[in-house]
Formats: sequence, structure tokens, C-alpha cells
Amino acid sequence: MSTVSTPTTPSSSAVGMRTVPFSLGRLGIVAGNTFLEAVRQKLFNFLLLLAIALVASAQLFREFNFGSSELKFISDFGFGAMVFFGSTLTIAATAQLFFSEIENRTALTILAKPIWRTEFIFGKFLGVFAVVGVFCALTTLLLLALLYNRETALMAADSEAFEHGRIIQYGDLVLLGVLQWLKFGVLAAITLLIASFSNTNLYTVVMGFFVLVICHLQYLARDAYAQVASLPLRLLVRLLGYVFPNFQVFNLADQIGIGAGIDSGVFLRVAGYALIYIAVIGGLAVYSFRNREI
Amino acid sequence: MTYPNPASAIEITGLTKDFSLNLRGIKLRAVENLTLTVPEGQVFGLLGPNGSGKSTTIKIILGLLEPTAGECKVFGVPSGRVDSRLNVGYLPEAPYFYRYLSGTELVRFYGRICGVPRKRLDERVREVIDWVGLSGAAHRRVGTYSKGMLQRIGLAQALVHDPRLIILDEPTAGVDPVGSAEISELILKLKTQGKTVLITSHLLAQIEDICDRVAILDRGKLILEGAVDELVGLSNRQALIVDSLPAAELEELRGWLSARGHALKAVEQPRTRLDQLFLSKVSRPQKGGEAK
Amino acid sequence: MKFNLAALRPLWTGLLVVAALAVTGAAIRPFEEPAWQAVRAQQPALKLDSLQGALGQGITAGLLGGFRAIVADFFWIKTNSVWEDNDLPATQTFIKLVTAIDPRPLYFWQNGSRMIAYDMPNWRIIAAGGYEKTPQAEQRRIDEEQSAVALKYLNEAFGHHPDSPLLYVEIANVYLNRLKDKASAAEAYRKAALLPNAPYYAGRIYPELLRKLGRHAEAYAWLKQLYPTLPKVIDTAKGITEFQVQSAMAPVVLERIRELEKELNIPQIEVFKP
Repeated sequence: MSTVSTPTTPSSSAVGMRTVPFSLGRLGIVAGNTFLEAVRQKLFNFLLLLAIALVASAQLFREFNFGSSELKFISDFGFGAMVFFGSTLTIAATAQLFFSEIENRTALTILAKPIWRTEFIFGKFLGVFAVVGVFCALTTLLLLALLYNRETALMAADSEAFEHGRIIQYGDLVLLGVLQWLKFGVLAAITLLIASFSNTNLYTVVMGFFVLVICHLQYLARDAYAQVASLPLRLLVRLLGYVFPNFQVFNLADQIGIGAGIDSGVFLRVAGYALIYIAVIGGLAVYSFRNREI
Repeated sequence: MTYPNPASAIEITGLTKDFSLNLRGIKLRAVENLTLTVPEGQVFGLLGPNGSGKSTTIKIILGLLEPTAGECKVFGVPSGRVDSRLNVGYLPEAPYFYRYLSGTELVRFYGRICGVPRKRLDERVREVIDWVGLSGAAHRRVGTYSKGMLQRIGLAQALVHDPRLIILDEPTAGVDPVGSAEISELILKLKTQGKTVLITSHLLAQIEDICDRVAILDRGKLILEGAVDELVGLSNRQALIVDSLPAAELEELRGWLSARGHALKAVEQPRTRLDQLFLSKVSRPQKGGEAK
Repeated sequence: MKFNLAALRPLWTGLLVVAALAVTGAAIRPFEEPAWQAVRAQQPALKLDSLQGALGQGITAGLLGGFRAIVADFFWIKTNSVWEDNDLPATQTFIKLVTAIDPRPLYFWQNGSRMIAYDMPNWRIIAAGGYEKTPQAEQRRIDEEQSAVALKYLNEAFGHHPDSPLLYVEIANVYLNRLKDKASAAEAYRKAALLPNAPYYAGRIYPELLRKLGRHAEAYAWLKQLYPTLPKVIDTAKGITEFQVQSAMAPVVLERIRELEKELNIPQIEVFKP
């Protein structure tokens, strides 16, 4: 054992008087560590490879000779893969990265440091958000490359269909990738909220998927509200329509394949919608976690 | 033995902690009306059987739990506040760390969390890792560490920000006698540097050797508290260690004592301790830690 | 029986979470509504009643969950599969199912109508014994039946694509190629040519059909008003590409004008001056 002593203690009274303001730096440290942990997990690599494989398999549509409409099929399947695997990754990774801290008691070690629980929870969220961002970026880039490559080939073969130039609006394709990322951010915040009071990883994942389905069908509650006769039921339906975010509003990917773009005003509203929900749900997760006994 | 009036590292007053089991009023009282002071600059042992409230008390000190009643302060700052932990380093029981980080990365990570200035961080990380004797293994992933190495890297992360108070929860649990002795040496070194160490352990022999004061909890209540020497010393006895005396000289001594009103209570062969015998015979690991 | 209020904390937290989310949802609704209406406008109403029997619950949930495009794509691939097997009932069912699920891609309507109008008569005639054995009258009847189905299908498409010239072109082709009805085909080509982004050939085929119907004066009047609108030279500043100039075939149109002037004996002083 080394006999080198530790340095002398800094001035006790000065250290004792310091306060600990909220720090984005500490939040970033937790986020970075969470990101590092996530990308080393087999789940992330598996889902990423699967999504890449599915997007790449869109090449098989050549066999059907759809002409310029092949681009629609590639786009639909590409975004479909991104949504399906991205949702799975978001829920599973958020739950896993949170509960691994609880079960392994690394949460004890880190929360015994001068760190706010808010910094810890938001740090975990940002780490997951970054992982999902990498996933969305890679699948969007792959889809973009596939579409561009295929469209170039189709343009050479069928000039009439491309009389007005390229069909796919690549800038809007990237924007849609961003919107899917933001949607996954809302989903990660929801999963973290569930995890903040849940006892097990499994429960969190199951509830996460359950809420995901509800959020996709939330618009039915909005539409049905006016048709419900019974007042208590009508109030309940209305409440459901308000409590759960509307994930259908992110459903703009269909437009890419048929050559339509997205309106910048719509993009900004949907993006703002996502960011507001991330902030609110994230804040609720912090509130719930504050009272959790580790 | 009297003490000058030291500042208190930890002040616990009337601390009670209940855990709710269900809606019908049934609670589990883990700690009941605990009042305790841990003086600064001492090694303090917190003892008790399983379920006595030691871990709950530690968690309240660390701000991980809220007390139901009473208060707890660390260097005068309520323990629920984040800034109370600026001066606290904590080594949990059976520590588990992020397996994919190297020893250096791990300590660096916690150093950054604790606010060690960036320009000092690398140097400080090297210092503490060297101090706990893991320089040779610091580049390896924590997932490859043995139990003793985990304890030492755990100690390093607890010390990286140079805290005034170090809390060690069962620091030698599952560690071999050599590793255990090394950790005891480290604790005593911390004391010489003016640190306060709060240690919980089931290994009473070890507590006896290194602690200045101890508190014993049972079913959430404080049973006994005081300086170790005062608690375990038999104040009305003395032990003299002499060379082996022949029987005649022993009788002569007995008679001499009797003439002065004293009695020779026992004649025994002194024993060294088994752990001391073990340490004297077994080779210590080289600097850098043993392989798993 | 006294209650442990501390144990109710999770309940209070849960109620607070629900309340906070409800307030957020209500407060954010005006901000979200315009975007939601824009998204809804791009998604025609889903007629679940017509789909219920054909779909399983999982697919229905997928449709409701916003995966219409990919579900429709999947069924279109299925359509191609049964089309390759010359399975008329299945092909017809899947064609209608695809456009019921997602009527937005024009591609489904165009290719669906072609399968109905061109391939299905062929299958039916072969099933009836082949072209050699099936009487001409029977072949004609099959053609008319299938063409009627295709035209009805294409007219349904206008509900989702009111300004599509390509749908009129498909209708025109059915009239011309299957029903040999030049007059109706001409009218459909005319409607196509009048719509924005119409293919240039629609504007040329219409007067050709008028000529075949003996309506030379109408054809001449049409071509004279058409010619000035055609691109004749490449102009990148105005967005006129080489492809557009070649597709427009302005010299061919001028040629047709000159031919009609001879047929109609237009005096030299009154000929069209480009």
C-alpha cells in the first residue's frame, strides 16, 4: 500500500459555507455517463442493426417494379422501422438505464454526492435522448441515402415521372427525423415518470408501451367526446384527451413518400408541443423521484 | 478521558424514521428518538445487529432519506440540503460501480460530480488512486476488479474531493484479512489528517482497534455510546505482561501483592490475535492490486 | 380505523401528476390545434366499417395508431402477389382494401384501375375458354363490365384527388382502349388538359380524337389556343427544362395546325401566326 498521504484539507470553514446551485455541467456529466452506458448495451446495438437492416431491405421493392412510387414504399417502410424500433429502444433503454442505477445501488453512490435529484433525473433523460438521437440520425441518414440513390436511378429510367424534378424533399425528410426524435423524447420522459414511482423494470416497460398505444389513440377520445351521452363518461373521455399527449400529431412521414413536404409552421408547432411536454413530464418525474426512498 | 470541545461533524437530535407499510396506520419504526454527536477529527463506529437502524441513519445523514421527526446536521448544515454533502465522502456496503469505466475514469467521474476543479482533477485523481494503492490497475475496467480492489476504488471515489467527513458502510465486508488490515491503516491515516470517519461494521475486533468512539443501536434505539477505551476497559484492573516466571517466583509475587491488599486474579499465557498472526505470515500484495 | 396519511403520499403524487398533465393538455391545446388540423387534413377519414371484416384487430389498431401508409403498402404488395396468380376475386378485394385504408397515393388508384380494366377481362376470357373459343359478343360484354367497374373506381378517386389530370387520363384510356368510345375519351382528355400540371400529351390527343370524330373546326380552335402556352426553348430562369420542351412538342402541334388549315381551307390571310 502506498504511503503517500492525501493532500491537506482545504480551509474547512470556507468549504462548509458553499452552496450548491443547480448545475448544467453536472447534469451533462450524468447525461454523458448514461449515454456511454447505453451505447455499450447489447439492446441498443441490436435494435440499431435491426432498424438498419429493415431500412436497407427496402431495396427489395425493386423487385415489384413500382416505378417512381417505389420511393413511397421505401420512405414508408423506413420511417415505419424508425418508429417501431425507436419506440422500443426509447422505452426499454430508459427503464433499463434508470433501474440499473437503483438495482445496482449506483444511485446511492451518486446521490450521496452534492448533486440535485433534478440534475440526476434530467441527466438520465438527456443521456437517453442523446442515444435515441443517434439512432434517429443514423436511420434518417441511411433512409436519405437509399432514397437519393434510388431516385437518381429511377430518374434516369423514367424522365416523365420526374418531369418536375426530384419527388422527395430531402430537407423535409431530415425535419421529420427530428420530429420523430422529439416524439421519442416525450416517450422517454413518460417512461422516466413511470420509472420514478415504479418498483420494477418490467412494470415500467409494460406501462410504457401501454401509454404509447394510448397516446397514439388519444385523438379518438378527442373525437368521441362530443358523441358521448353520459356526463361522467364524457368528462372521463375529455380528461383522457387532455392527460395524454397526442402522438398522431407527429405522423407526418406519410407525406414524404408522395412528394409532399411539411409546412414550417406545422413543424415549429409540433416541435414546440414536444418540447413543452418534455419539460412538463420531465418536471413531474423529478417531483415524483424527489420523494422516492432509495 | 476528557475531550476539548471539538466541533461536531454530525449532530443528530431526536431522530425518528418510520416507514409506512400500508394505509391502516401500520408503520415500521426503523429509528427511534436517536440523539448522537460525532465529533470532528475522530473515527466513530456505528454498531448494531441487522435491522438496528444503522443503514437508515446513514441514509438520513447522506440526505437519501427524510426523517419523520428530529433533525440531522452535517457540519452545521441540515442533511437534507445538497450542500451538506460537499464535505462528505461515502463508500457504500458491497460497492458496485459502472463496470465499463476504468478505475481512473470512475474516480474522475465522481470527482467532476463533486466539483473538483478541472485543472486540479487529473492530478487529484492520480493522487487518490495512488493513495489507495491502485495505480497499477487504474487503467483497467472496474468490471475486472476483485472485491478488495472494488473497496479501494470505492474509497478513492469517496476521497477524490477531499471531504472532511468520510462515511464507510461495512468497508471490510467480504475482504480478506490482508485487505482488511490495509483499509484499517487507511482509516487511521485519514484520522491523522484531521478527517472524521464514520464507520459501520459487524467486525467488532476491527472497530475496537481503530475507533475512538462507538454507538450501539438495537431496534432503532441508541443502547450505548462512548469512547471505546471507557466502554471496554475494565477500570478496576490492570494487566502486566512479564517474561515467563518459574512457579516459586510466581508464588512470591502473589504473596507480595497480597501483603499490599491486592489479589492476583489470573495467570494466563498472553495470546496474539489470529488476524495479527495471519498478517505476519502472509505476503502482502504488490502495489497495483491483485488480479481477480 | 385511523389511516396512515404518509402511506397515501403515492396517491397524492399520482393525482397531482394527472392534474398537472390535464392542465398542460388543456393549456397547450390551442397551440397544438392548428398543427393537428393540418395533420388531419392530410389523412382522409378512415371508413372502419368497410374494413372491419377484412382486417384483424391488430391491423385495425395499426391503422388507428397512425400506420395507415405502411399498412396500405403491405396490402398493395399482397395485391401484387395475388395479381401474379391471376386471382380475380382476391385482386379486386385487395385493390379496394388498399384505397380504403389509404386513398392518398394516386399510384394505387391508377394501377388498381388498370388491373381492373386491362388484366381482369383477360383473365375472365381465358377462364371462359380463351380468345379462340369465347364469342366476340361475350368478350365485348366482359370488357364493358370490367371497364364499368374501373370507371366507377376512378370516379371514386376524385373524392380524394379532385384536381388530378392523371385520373382523367386513366378514364380516357379506358374509354379509348377498352370501350372504343372516342367521344367519351376525347372529353376526358379535354378535362385532363385543362387541369394544372396536366401531361402535354393530353392536350395533343384530344384534338387528334376530335379529328377522328370529324370535328375538325373544334380541333383547330383548340390547337390554336394551345400552341402559345407550350414551352419552345429551354429557359432555366423561368424553370423550363429540356424535358418539358421535348414533351410539349410545339413543332408537332404547329404541324397539326397547318394540316387542319389545309383540311378546313383556311384562307392564307387568316392562318394561325405563331
